[in-house]
Amino acid sequence: MAACYGAGALSSLLARWSGRLALSVGHLAALAGALAGLSVSLGVLVGDPGHPLIQPLPLLFPFARLALSVDGLSAYFLLVISLVAIAAAIYGPAYLRAHSPEARPAQQAAQALALNGFLGCMAFLCCAGDALTFLICWEGMTLASYVLIVSDDRDGENVRAGLLYMVMTHGGTALLLVAFLALTERAEAFDFAALRAAAGDLDGTTRSTLFFLALGGFATKAGVVPLHVWLPRAHPAAPSHISALMSGVMLKVAIYGMLRFAFDLLAPVDAPLPSSWGWMVLFVGTTSAVLGVLYALQQHDLKRLLAFHSVENIGIILIGVGLAMILWRREGAGGALATVALTAALLHTVNHAAFKGLLFLGAGSVLCRTHICNIEELGGLARRMPWTAGLFLLGAVAISALPPLNGFVSEWLTFQALLGGAILFHSPAGLGIVFSAAMLALTGGLAAACFAKAFGVTFLGRPRTPEAEHATEAPPSMIASMIWLGAVCVALGVAPGYAMGLLDAPTAKLLQGPGATAVVTAKGPLVLSAALTPSGTDATAISMTVVAVLLSALTAMAWVLSRGLQRAARLAPTWTCGMSPTSRFDYTATAFAKPLRLIFAALYRPRREVTRETAGTPYVIRRIHYAGEVVDLAETEIYHRVERGISALSQAIRARSTGHIHGYIGFVLGALFVALLLFGAG
Amino acid sequence: MTGGRPLGLVLLEMTLLVLLGPLVTGTIQKLKARLQCRQGAGVLQPYRDLAKLLRKSTVQADTASGFFRSIPVLVLAATIAAGALVPVVRAGPPAFPLGDALMLLGLLALARFLAAVGALDAGGAFGGMGASREMTVAPLVEPVLMMVVFSTAAAAGTTELGTLAAHRGTSWILAWRAADLLGFAAMLVLLPAETGRIPVDNPDTHLELTMLHEGMLLEHSGPGLGCMVLASHTRQIVTLGFVAALFFPVGLADGASAIGLLLGAGAFAAKVLALATYLGLVESSYGKLRFFRLPQYLAIGFVCALAALALRIL
Amino acid sequence: MSAAETVHTIIDDLGALLLFTMILIVIASQISRAIYAVAAQSLFIAIAGGVLAMFTGNVDLWVIAGVTLAVKAIMLPWVLHWVVRRMNVRREVEPVIPDAATIVLAVAVVVMSFDLSTSLGTVRQAITGNALPVGIALTVLGVLVMATRKTALTQMVGLFASENGIFFTAMAVTQGMPLIIEIGVSLDVILAALVMTILVLRVRSTVDADIADLDRLRG
Repeated sequence: MAACYGAGALSSLLARWSGRLALSVGHLAALAGALAGLSVSLGVLVGDPGHPLIQPLPLLFPFARLALSVDGLSAYFLLVISLVAIAAAIYGPAYLRAHSPEARPAQQAAQALALNGFLGCMAFLCCAGDALTFLICWEGMTLASYVLIVSDDRDGENVRAGLLYMVMTHGGTALLLVAFLALTERAEAFDFAALRAAAGDLDGTTRSTLFFLALGGFATKAGVVPLHVWLPRAHPAAPSHISALMSGVMLKVAIYGMLRFAFDLLAPVDAPLPSSWGWMVLFVGTTSAVLGVLYALQQHDLKRLLAFHSVENIGIILIGVGLAMILWRREGAGGALATVALTAALLHTVNHAAFKGLLFLGAGSVLCRTHICNIEELGGLARRMPWTAGLFLLGAVAISALPPLNGFVSEWLTFQALLGGAILFHSPAGLGIVFSAAMLALTGGLAAACFAKAFGVTFLGRPRTPEAEHATEAPPSMIASMIWLGAVCVALGVAPGYAMGLLDAPTAKLLQGPGATAVVTAKGPLVLSAALTPSGTDATAISMTVVAVLLSALTAMAWVLSRGLQRAARLAPTWTCGMSPTSRFDYTATAFAKPLRLIFAALYRPRREVTRETAGTPYVIRRIHYAGEVVDLAETEIYHRVERGISALSQAIRARSTGHIHGYIGFVLGALFVALLLFGAG
Repeated sequence: MTGGRPLGLVLLEMTLLVLLGPLVTGTIQKLKARLQCRQGAGVLQPYRDLAKLLRKSTVQADTASGFFRSIPVLVLAATIAAGALVPVVRAGPPAFPLGDALMLLGLLALARFLAAVGALDAGGAFGGMGASREMTVAPLVEPVLMMVVFSTAAAAGTTELGTLAAHRGTSWILAWRAADLLGFAAMLVLLPAETGRIPVDNPDTHLELTMLHEGMLLEHSGPGLGCMVLASHTRQIVTLGFVAALFFPVGLADGASAIGLLLGAGAFAAKVLALATYLGLVESSYGKLRFFRLPQYLAIGFVCALAALALRIL
Repeated sequence: MSAAETVHTIIDDLGALLLFTMILIVIASQISRAIYAVAAQSLFIAIAGGVLAMFTGNVDLWVIAGVTLAVKAIMLPWVLHWVVRRMNVRREVEPVIPDAATIVLAVAVVVMSFDLSTSLGTVRQAITGNALPVGIALTVLGVLVMATRKTALTQMVGLFASENGIFFTAMAVTQGMPLIIEIGVSLDVILAALVMTILVLRVRSTVDADIADLDRLRG
């Protein structure tokens, strides 16, 4: 696996004279690497060797031995990475050729190099067996994605987005560094086993502080509200297959880190986790889910919309993770429920990677054919790009958590875990869990509304601009990669029981309890069940397969019935009150989202400005100009204030700079004094 | 609680719901007419309307894509599949696991999503407005529904409808606790929203500013429209059956005896009739709420459901 | 079921119905609906008093139930309706803070009252179950209505609802208050209603403004 990614990186360096060759070779190598990763992960997950695969790495540093260790959790995330990487690698060359045909060979070689670097770093991150490997790969991942974001710079926008991304992720990395270093200092070694042992005798406050530091670091990378502001800028800036990778996989790597810290490294031995951890994660997850989808509703840039939906889905995953943290090792039905919650979170990880990847790739095909990102200028693409439209619809149904696709399965499991938690807690904590469930239902409904808008305005109706009218279908390799991800969505939706076998290793190992199969597919692989009461006999059971079969049978019957009875259809223009129909009559996306904008106005603070240009009397209107704006509350309240505070502070300090060199040297002397005093005393 | 409902019975119940759906709509229309001191059309009028629609030919907008023809069929299939999950004559889980309350809500949401997407396809403002409003009301209703389902499921420890009904007990009509009163009050607030009736939506009008659900049907014609209309009838009776299973499982058969099943069917008819009368009375007594007052109206349901949960859990 | 359990269930159900009417009062958009809701609430309180009286054999409770029925379920709402018709007041209830904020506060009050009553656990009697948290919620929600509505009539409705809450709490905890206190409290309520009616009508006729607009009297 390492060989493949390394070869990919090197070959793209070598192929710098020919951009096309660099792209193809680089992406082919990435594909090979992804396939290798897939086989490794499946081997570990299905084979279940019982103890992790340890692979020592060459000695790069004198003070540490680097190693890779692939246990159940690592293998599962490796699987997620590989799935999306396969699609992205197939998609990449055609997209980059179609989207930016005037790119320089050096630029294309850089993209291929960065792609291989990105995938390699993420894969090794998940397999890291010690802190140093983890941190090196973390940095590498950030740098590679930065290169990819700014690689396609039409205007200065992408560079600014990349800068914000770097600043924020490095802030998060700093927090991570502190947490890791505190542990390694205690353990005096870097590998995870030693860290685990050292954390065993930490006292409660230190443990919690370390956890929250790590949570902060990972939350920045995962795009959790309120640390999400880089996401809607960075994801649209990158090329579409990179956005798919970032959104589908990079955010999950942060989740992997969180899980590794909470359940593996910092967990107290044989005791439940401190309750503040789980509740914090649950709260943060619920807020992210609701705010993410609310902001997504008002976006009209297709990729920004999808980026905000990533925030929402990370929130949903965190709800499952938080619930698992709360329920772990509690007496009563807590153990099995924690497994259900963690299964739900992990399943949603792979589901989100699949459907978000599919959606981003679909958006990319639209973008490369029309070069327009604003959905208000598209329309009618379903007749010109039928495959893209169909696959985008599949992704939209999946992300709205509608049966029979995979989004519904993971949300069902999350709901069952929430219900079990609510039954278990006879206190306002139980009400908090139920409130979280209500908010989850709200996000499901809002996501459906948002994608009805996005799909409808982009692909249906009449084309609004000439570019939309002359769009053609995307190249076959792009369609093929989308079909791959779509097939994964359908397979996970219709027969999720078979995927439970893959989840066995992570859940059993992490929670040291019953594996996913035992709890969730207790009644056979076609049936999902969740036992909420300790007796287990009244377990709620659903079968996605049977429902899918029922749906298809009914569809067939209804189709036969309606076809058999009707004559040929007659085509006629849509009724528009007697005027000749143009694309101006189609409902716009802004109008579609307006009722929700007004209902949630407290969160949006919408501003709008309507100016009318009249001719002569005020009754004859020549032109109306509408400008509307929705505010990202986290940005304005928190970040702008911090920004203003920092600028004010810097201004104040600047006013004091005397310009005399003696003043500066004296300042340095003073700082040295203070440092010596502080560290001398310690 | 005896063994589960066999597959044949489940399919029979599903067919029964589809066949009786238009009858319920006809009853409500007749009730409204009588309250307005006029005769009104017969109770079987919706059946005649459906037959008429199936005979007509289809006129389709020339901008519609290939999806448009398949939308009515998919919507109907999803709604009927939701009907398979409601215990009509007999309590207890189905013999082979099928789906639970969450699956039912999910299937109805799928039907609504597809209808909204289809409405945007024809490219006019009516469809867009109807779809936009329908998809605005849907997310506001779902949290309340989820809380009501949770409040009843918390007592039984399961969300499967047949098991819920069996757990509550099919013989004692007052097997209610205080929490159920508030949960039922919340459901009564939500019923007009789920079935698309006044005070949330006006099913008898075709003015674009007063339509939510009807706006999405406007561009369909012929058998396609017939499918969508049948889907809305079925959705109504499925929702009523859902409420009956959650709160009034009285009369549901326990075993497989013929008498028990007939009694169960009769009890179901009575329950649906009672709820339909409630809907008809509400439609005749109130006016349609202004659209942006709907969140306030749904807030009543939200607070009731929350109080029901507080009473149940604490 | 034994008699105690039956009474327990009935008081529980009545508590739920009381909460429902209180929610209607908080969310009501027309004054007449709020008045009907508070009348229904007083009716339920009277029924609860009657049931408890039947069970405990306490004659005082019968009198309380009767007085509540006569005064708060019939007479006072009738007076309020008369004032509404007389004043030709705008039917709408005007809130001081936005509706969403009121609903959030109401939810918080309900949750807090349940939380509070679990911590006061030793005070709960075996017979009353849910009655204590419902009573506390009712009282505080009545004060919430008084604080968040502009028109004096709706504030009166809030006062009555608060009153009902106190009665229900007292009945739940002590199974009846001494009759003297009961009569005294009822007289206070009637007096308050009379004063409020006269004041509102007078202010309306002389100044043609409502109580909420009178805010010049400051120190």
